[in-house]
Amino acid sequence: MSDRNKLLIAGVGGQGIVYITNIITEAAMLSGIPVSVSEIHGLSQRGGVVTAGIGLGEHCTGFYGKAGVDFLIGLEPLETQRCLHYLHKNSSVIFGSHRIQPYSVNAQIAEYPDVNSFVNYLNGQCKEVVFIERFPETVDSVLQNIFLLGRATRMKDFPLKKGKIEKAIHSIVTGSYKEKTLNVFKQGVEFEMELKST
Amino acid sequence: MIERTIKILTPHSAPHKTCVMGNEGIARAALEAGVNGVFSYPGTPSTEISEIFNHVNNFQTAPDNQKKYPAITNDPVYFEYSINEKIALEKAIAFSIGNRSAMCVMKNVGMNVASDPLMSVTYQTIGAPLVIVVCDDPGCHSSSNEQDSRYWGPMASVPMFNPATPADAFKMIKEAFNLSEKIKLPVIVRTTTRVSHTRGIVTYGNINHENRKPKFERLPEHINIPARTAAAHTRLLDKLKNENVLSLLSRNTRIVLNGSKTKFGIISSGVSTSYVTEILYQNNSTDKVNVLELGMIHPFPEKEVLAFLNKGFEKILILEELDPLTENSVRIIAQKNNSTTEILGKGFSGLVSTGEFSIDMITNVLEKFMETSFSKSENLPLENPEKYLQNLPPRPPALCAGCPHRATFYLLKLAIPREQSELILCGDIGCFGLGALPPLKMLDTINHMGMSISMAQGLFASGSSTEKNKKVVALIGDGTFFHSGLSSLVNAVYTRTNILVVIFDNRTIGMTGHQSHPGASRLPKYHEIDIPPLLKGLGVEVVETINPFNIPESFKQLDKAMKHNGVSVVIAKAPCIFLPDYKEKIDKQMRIIVDANLCNSCANHEDHSLACSRCYAPKNNLSRAKAKLISEISIPAQEQLCPANICNHGFFNSILEKDYKSAVEIVRDKMLFARTCGAICHRPCELFSTEANVVPIKKLKHLVSGIDENFRDFSVPKARVKNASKKNKKVGIVGAGPAGLSAAYDLVQSGYDVTIFEKENKAGGMVTFAIPDFRMDKTGFDYEAMQLAEMGVKFFFNTSLGKELPLERLSKEYDAVILAIGMNQSKKLNLIDSSVPVAKRTDALSFLKSFNLKEQRIEPGSTILIIGGGNSAIDAARSAKKLSNLNKVIVSCIETDNTMPAFAEEVKHAVEEEIDFVHDSYVESCTIWKSGEINVVLHSFRNKKLLQNLKCDYIITAIGQTTDPAINKNLSKDENLRVKSEHSFTGYKNVFVAGDISSGNNMSVIGAIASGKKSAVAVRKLLENYKYNYEGEKALERLNTNPTPTLRLRRSIVDEDIKVELEKYNLFQSCYKCNHCIDNFGCPAMVKVNGKVQIDQSRCNLCGLCIDVCPNNAIQWSVGADKVLESEEV
Repeated sequence: MSDRNKLLIAGVGGQGIVYITNIITEAAMLSGIPVSVSEIHGLSQRGGVVTAGIGLGEHCTGFYGKAGVDFLIGLEPLETQRCLHYLHKNSSVIFGSHRIQPYSVNAQIAEYPDVNSFVNYLNGQCKEVVFIERFPETVDSVLQNIFLLGRATRMKDFPLKKGKIEKAIHSIVTGSYKEKTLNVFKQGVEFEMELKST
Repeated sequence: MIERTIKILTPHSAPHKTCVMGNEGIARAALEAGVNGVFSYPGTPSTEISEIFNHVNNFQTAPDNQKKYPAITNDPVYFEYSINEKIALEKAIAFSIGNRSAMCVMKNVGMNVASDPLMSVTYQTIGAPLVIVVCDDPGCHSSSNEQDSRYWGPMASVPMFNPATPADAFKMIKEAFNLSEKIKLPVIVRTTTRVSHTRGIVTYGNINHENRKPKFERLPEHINIPARTAAAHTRLLDKLKNENVLSLLSRNTRIVLNGSKTKFGIISSGVSTSYVTEILYQNNSTDKVNVLELGMIHPFPEKEVLAFLNKGFEKILILEELDPLTENSVRIIAQKNNSTTEILGKGFSGLVSTGEFSIDMITNVLEKFMETSFSKSENLPLENPEKYLQNLPPRPPALCAGCPHRATFYLLKLAIPREQSELILCGDIGCFGLGALPPLKMLDTINHMGMSISMAQGLFASGSSTEKNKKVVALIGDGTFFHSGLSSLVNAVYTRTNILVVIFDNRTIGMTGHQSHPGASRLPKYHEIDIPPLLKGLGVEVVETINPFNIPESFKQLDKAMKHNGVSVVIAKAPCIFLPDYKEKIDKQMRIIVDANLCNSCANHEDHSLACSRCYAPKNNLSRAKAKLISEISIPAQEQLCPANICNHGFFNSILEKDYKSAVEIVRDKMLFARTCGAICHRPCELFSTEANVVPIKKLKHLVSGIDENFRDFSVPKARVKNASKKNKKVGIVGAGPAGLSAAYDLVQSGYDVTIFEKENKAGGMVTFAIPDFRMDKTGFDYEAMQLAEMGVKFFFNTSLGKELPLERLSKEYDAVILAIGMNQSKKLNLIDSSVPVAKRTDALSFLKSFNLKEQRIEPGSTILIIGGGNSAIDAARSAKKLSNLNKVIVSCIETDNTMPAFAEEVKHAVEEEIDFVHDSYVESCTIWKSGEINVVLHSFRNKKLLQNLKCDYIITAIGQTTDPAINKNLSKDENLRVKSEHSFTGYKNVFVAGDISSGNNMSVIGAIASGKKSAVAVRKLLENYKYNYEGEKALERLNTNPTPTLRLRRSIVDEDIKVELEKYNLFQSCYKCNHCIDNFGCPAMVKVNGKVQIDQSRCNLCGLCIDVCPNNAIQWSVGADKVLESEEV
């Protein structure tokens, strides 16, 4: 792991991308790691694509380029796949299976890509790939982001410590939601079943 | 939100590091600089700055908070979302003149609106500091252009900062307040999306609580008159040479990388600096180049840039997004100072003036500029990712699930079908601009904010609208209406234009994050302006407020507004889904589900390969959806089934869509005889319906098949024959009546070689010979029948089954045989035959045949008695009357008026033609007088008593038909209409029967057609393992088993002259190729899985409109998931 790390979080508006970005940012601050984030707002609330790049370390911005992302967290399979050219051979990827079909797929103008073939490809290319084929039923779909983040902390190259993320959740999440979030995070950390290869 | 607000208001005496978005840093910096008031119009990417101050103001002015948090609520910061940027800046200027420090926030294009006050205030003076923040959007993530706001610095002669990072922005805002105070000029801080929406580490400090006492000073500078402007201009330019300006310039022009002994210099500004430093650090190349960052760009740091130019670089690269402002200034300095250093900028290695820079782009530029390659040994790219990146479905933004704008667009879509209208729809900026995208596609223009109303009136004035009343429609959001639409509306009323304005009033400024506006203020500190009285006051004559979720009511109101000649306004008012008003209205206990059996399934076909109405139906048949919402009478199409399985649903809806050609094609999907059935079908689809009101299918068939151009075009069935896979099997059909012809029609289109044998010299059977010519257009029938020959069916006329055409030979030579020889022998009435001479009597079939051949000679003025109560009797009676009006025609039948088997319409015509009826009668005896007159004694059928004696000249018996006794006797059938093996046709397993001989003689034309089609299915089952049953069976069965529905016929007599009010009816059924909701509504909560629509419960916002949208009633309310589980447990 170099002292500069670039994370990318990809998904669809409404999946809580900014939310976990804030948690990761706070965790980096708590770890004393310089952090910078770049998100694109605008029409994200209307179901468009949302990505957030997080740069950890000195002179590391949240902007990302080809083969420039070390760790990708995908909240939606298609959006994970769309980020493919940002990955490199040493990248780690974790993504979930929750599909959000774009209009073109519903209208049968386009086809949703085959997720299994993509997982197999990633397995052959990247350093570590975790695909959550099925989330536990107790995980609300709006908290899949937290679940994935929890599972990510167990991956070899995840640049932040689990404890710091927990602390960040403590300081960012308020009210009754805090307990629920921490619980889902813990479930993610402890999660064992996932499709690693086929 | 409260925590965030407290955080941003909390002062730090010791430096406090935090990671925040650029916009948040800007807000905090303004607070630290002691801002007293913020004025803005929301717009991405500037919005968060205003939002923070909105929260700050709400927080600080709440009495509870003032008690609880006295330290941070002291001297609240004034905040408002002004109605537009011009007002915002004007008010900010005045606020400053009132000695309160102000900040004005807007996006790039907002500065255009605010430019008027900006350009003049500089010649005058301000009071307390005034900072303008303008956020550019290179790459147009969310703007209507990517204009470069850096021009405003030199244009207005005001100092301008251009930060690269959130930390820069934070620092520069404070410097800007400071400078503005000193030189009494507004100062602009310009950011881009990548600065405003980037998070970085910012060090918060103390918050300046300098108490500025409000005051107004009477200064001559406050009065701007031409006499003073020249001097004022000089004074303005002098301000920019002020030492405070110069020292700030010097401080903000920094060398950020200082490689020793390098020949490469880079001058960069804004986010480009971040890209350059990251790339150089990442590639360990920071010592190979010098980078000069320009943080303040107006006035231009001439001295510092010249010093950099003179450092002896071989070449200098200028990096700046958008226009080459810095580059041009550097080139001027170089030219003035005879610098020979090569200067590279726009045009070098793909550096353009459009869009955003990126890491990849700047990496390439630097490699080329530094004549090096940042080759990587680690982190190699993936192998062949292209395969997984190609053809990925795009994900454009869409209106939210539950959005009232989608409801309004859908309403407009049904009210003003785009395919049938030239109406121009002028759109505007805002969420509802998404209505331009598929599937809504309900906008023709979108320009800048507020243009829609001007666009509409301008287009009206140009005369380019081809609509009937030349009306043009403007569509505008509620926020935009107050921003700049209102003044344009005044102009529209003033100039007596003819436009409809639809205000999409979702009670908020939706796109930028749900800010309030004058029409939906939400807070008691603001006065809410009600739009309708405002419009009435302006002189708008028609103002209609609609609830877009109530489509039937809205239709009426929209119609009224459309018909008005002048300015009319429709306010489509329903809350945005993000507002509490929306959330309070929905019932979270409920959910919406789709019945998969009703969604994209066909009620007509099991065999989906059969020709289907949807193939020609208008692409987006909106009429069926509209019919569901506005019709008075809704009828399930299963209630109007055709024995020939014609898709009445598709047929009717094509007519609703005014696509009469398709309607004819839909009939011809199933049979040849659109015009014939339009004339003589006894319409079982209407008569057997259990619905009180039915769609007048027959009448419509008559109307559409009467359009000669469509009627004559048989290209579609002919193409089906051409494209059918050839079966190389021969089918022989005996009998060219409707049954035989219909079997041939289906089989030839399925790829069979079909030959028809007919004993007469032309096709048609009973239609040609027994139905009187006046009842129908026989040339039309001949044309329809003729098409079979053109489709490849071979005809042999004058060929009878029997000696010349033994069944045995047919069965051997053909793979299958269909006997459709009909019942063309009249039953005999012995009493008449024995007592009346041949010259004075005949049977109905013979009479009708000679009538049709125009060979019938009865002396005019004769009295003709018809015996019988069926259709042949009435046909004969009417024909006899047609022969001569002087003829007196009497019908004697055993049935009553209500129980006669003849079609009531025919009876009605007969009565109108003054034909007499003697019901409940039979001929007891008859005698021929010497005069030749026949004396007939009629008795009551019921009680056998004498009814009357009557005299006539001629008797026609019409008591039914039978087939050739020789054939009929031995004929029996199994349920597949196949001739049973034990009878005289033993061994002919490939022989089938159709038409009258397959089910007695109570059949009609449509029954014969259906029977022919059914026999074709039987043939296909035999010859190609076709697995489906005849799909019109249900209606055919009803036809065969029901007694003639005379009573019903009586009730349903309709006057042919009444115009069909199509819009009254909705004939619905589930349709295999529907997709209406996806193609026209496109709610993001609708997902298509395995050909069926499902509702994604996690995205559904329970607006319920899709329930109205589904033409098939497949979408319904249901109790929530939890409740279902509970009830299952019980």
